[in-house]
Amino acid sequence: MLTTENLTYWYTEKDQYLFKDVNLAFEAGHSYAIVGQSGSGKTTMVSLLAGLDTPKAGRILIDGQDIKKHGLTNYRQSKVAIVFQAYNLFTYMSALENLMTAMAITKAKHRGDKTYARGMLTKLGLTDEQMTKNVQKLSGGQQQRVAIARTMVCDAPLVVADEPTGNLDEDNTTDVIALFNQIAHDAGKCVIIVTHEAAVAAQCDGVLRLAHRTFTWEKQPQAAVTA
Amino acid sequence: MNFAKRAWLNLIAKKGRTALLILVTSAIMLFVMAGLLIKSAANQATENAKDSIGATLTLSANREAAFKKMRENAASSDGQPSQPSEKPSLSMSPVKLSTAEKIAKLAGVESYSVAVSTSANAKSFDAISTSTGQMTGPMGNRGGESSGDITISGVSSTAANANFSDKTYVIKKGRGLTASDEGTNNVVIESELATENDLKVGDTITVKNTAKTKTYKLKVVGIYKAKSTASTTMGGGMMGGGDPSNTIFASYTFANTLKGTKYKDTADSVVFTVSTPSKVAGVKKAANKLISSKFSLTADDQSYQMVKASMSSVTSFADKIVWLVAIAGTIILALIVVLMIRERRFEIGILLSLGEKRAKVIAQFFVELFVILLVGVGIASAGGQFVGDKLAAQVVSSAQTTTTSSTNQPGGMPGGQGGPGGTQGASRTGAPSGMPGQASQKAQTKQAKLATQVTFKSVAILFGLGLAIILIAILAGAGGILRLNPKRILIG
Repeated sequence: MLTTENLTYWYTEKDQYLFKDVNLAFEAGHSYAIVGQSGSGKTTMVSLLAGLDTPKAGRILIDGQDIKKHGLTNYRQSKVAIVFQAYNLFTYMSALENLMTAMAITKAKHRGDKTYARGMLTKLGLTDEQMTKNVQKLSGGQQQRVAIARTMVCDAPLVVADEPTGNLDEDNTTDVIALFNQIAHDAGKCVIIVTHEAAVAAQCDGVLRLAHRTFTWEKQPQAAVTA
Repeated sequence: MNFAKRAWLNLIAKKGRTALLILVTSAIMLFVMAGLLIKSAANQATENAKDSIGATLTLSANREAAFKKMRENAASSDGQPSQPSEKPSLSMSPVKLSTAEKIAKLAGVESYSVAVSTSANAKSFDAISTSTGQMTGPMGNRGGESSGDITISGVSSTAANANFSDKTYVIKKGRGLTASDEGTNNVVIESELATENDLKVGDTITVKNTAKTKTYKLKVVGIYKAKSTASTTMGGGMMGGGDPSNTIFASYTFANTLKGTKYKDTADSVVFTVSTPSKVAGVKKAANKLISSKFSLTADDQSYQMVKASMSSVTSFADKIVWLVAIAGTIILALIVVLMIRERRFEIGILLSLGEKRAKVIAQFFVELFVILLVGVGIASAGGQFVGDKLAAQVVSSAQTTTTSSTNQPGGMPGGQGGPGGTQGASRTGAPSGMPGQASQKAQTKQAKLATQVTFKSVAILFGLGLAIILIAILAGAGGILRLNPKRILIG
């Protein structure tokens, strides 16, 4: 579903690349963890996969088509949903309004359907009262659930998460990873999670380690292909 | 239209910031509105002045021609055996009232007033004498005539006299003179003269002509009060006793009688009131065809010109207000928008990560400021008139000009001129006895009060300006958005 071809990235000096000629393939219906030391380039990789940045060389293909041809804005709008460590919700809105706004922007199939959005938030454990109050009044775990719910109401086949459990306690971490697996397995989406937590990675179907500028599969889900 | 909904949600959620923006925008709009209103009112006032402020044409003896003739006579007499005792004299013809009536019939002339000035000697009462007002030396005589201690200012009506119309003189008791007093010996005297001589309305006083050959009985029908400033402003024009209290207003017919039979149905000067300043030139051209070179017509549309000049200064000031506030407002709003965008970088990053187009992000800010602008324009429309009126009063007050000029006039000059509105009567007092002294002119600009009014047009202009201001502010402030990389905002 998502493949990289000779993906290369550096910041300023070409010979000081972060990674080079990376060829990976991610399949729908699986969850993947990218692990590695801080500063190794995990987040850069995930931002490239999410279309938030452009590679210096190589290309990223979704369903066989270069994401550049989609246009990064269109790609982010229709192909990928992103979850951040800091939740990145609209702080002047309620949980419900956050979902409705995301559905409107991404032109999701259920856009404008408040009942659908409510149902998704309920599914993720938010009460009616919680979903209508300002998101800043929710706990960290609840806000991350709202962020995950946002990815679920959008129709993007790819979900990318950057340290989604970084601000959560152990219980919430387990719940959130379970939700991501649910998205992958039940909704048939491709979920890629960047994490430095071994426990989180262990719950994913595939684990990819970035070390010494090289990606290595520690655990391969079915149909994953190494570079 | 999701950006519009987001804008609305943001405005509602961040009430403090919204209130602050409304306050700033309203203040900017209020001053722009005030500037627009003042400018509009100044233009209107100038237009109104064209119609409402009358201009005048003064018909009097042509002094230049008189001097020329005098010099010609002097030159021709040089060839004759010299007569040391004979000096060439300045002879100025009085204006015939029949000529004045012809001019008065011209299109554009609304009315005319007659002024005759002479002097007499008090008989049954005492003139007020002041040490500074003593007429001594050469100024007392003209052509062998002697000067009396009382100035007789012959008018067609006191109301038409500039001193009464500009409230320098005010009727305190009795009444002023009107056209019905023509041919009578009714007079209006000054209150100090009345007090000093214990005179009341209804009393009869007597004066003698300057040759002291005839005595005239005059009936006091009114007493006027001269402002204290009159002594300085009018002093130069006094011929009789020098003190303005010695000026007695009478019908011009009596003044002519006092001057002599040859002056019957004549006047020193006739002032024609022309309906609008724009018609002055036309009337003057037509009137010149009716008079000989012995007379001259002097146009006086100073009131209009002064109003026009001061309104032009007000308009210029209002223009500056509009531009300065608009530029300052744009800069202030742009800075606020820049700060607002910096504060909302994260929100922009989220929107971009969701795939929102940059144009729609800018559109969201535009909608937010548009709503604020609507409230600001509403407040400015409600309060603009109040601020405009206050500001206009201040501007008009500072633009008001007072011009004082002093001219040294040679002997024989028929008095000093009054002000921009044109004067007649008492102010032209020098004729018979000759006053070579100073004629002080004080011209007080008549200012049209600026009446600001909020109109649909002014609100529309304000709204258009406001729209331009927020557009520029947003483009300047949101320019950075176009360069923002969502990764840098959200992850970096």
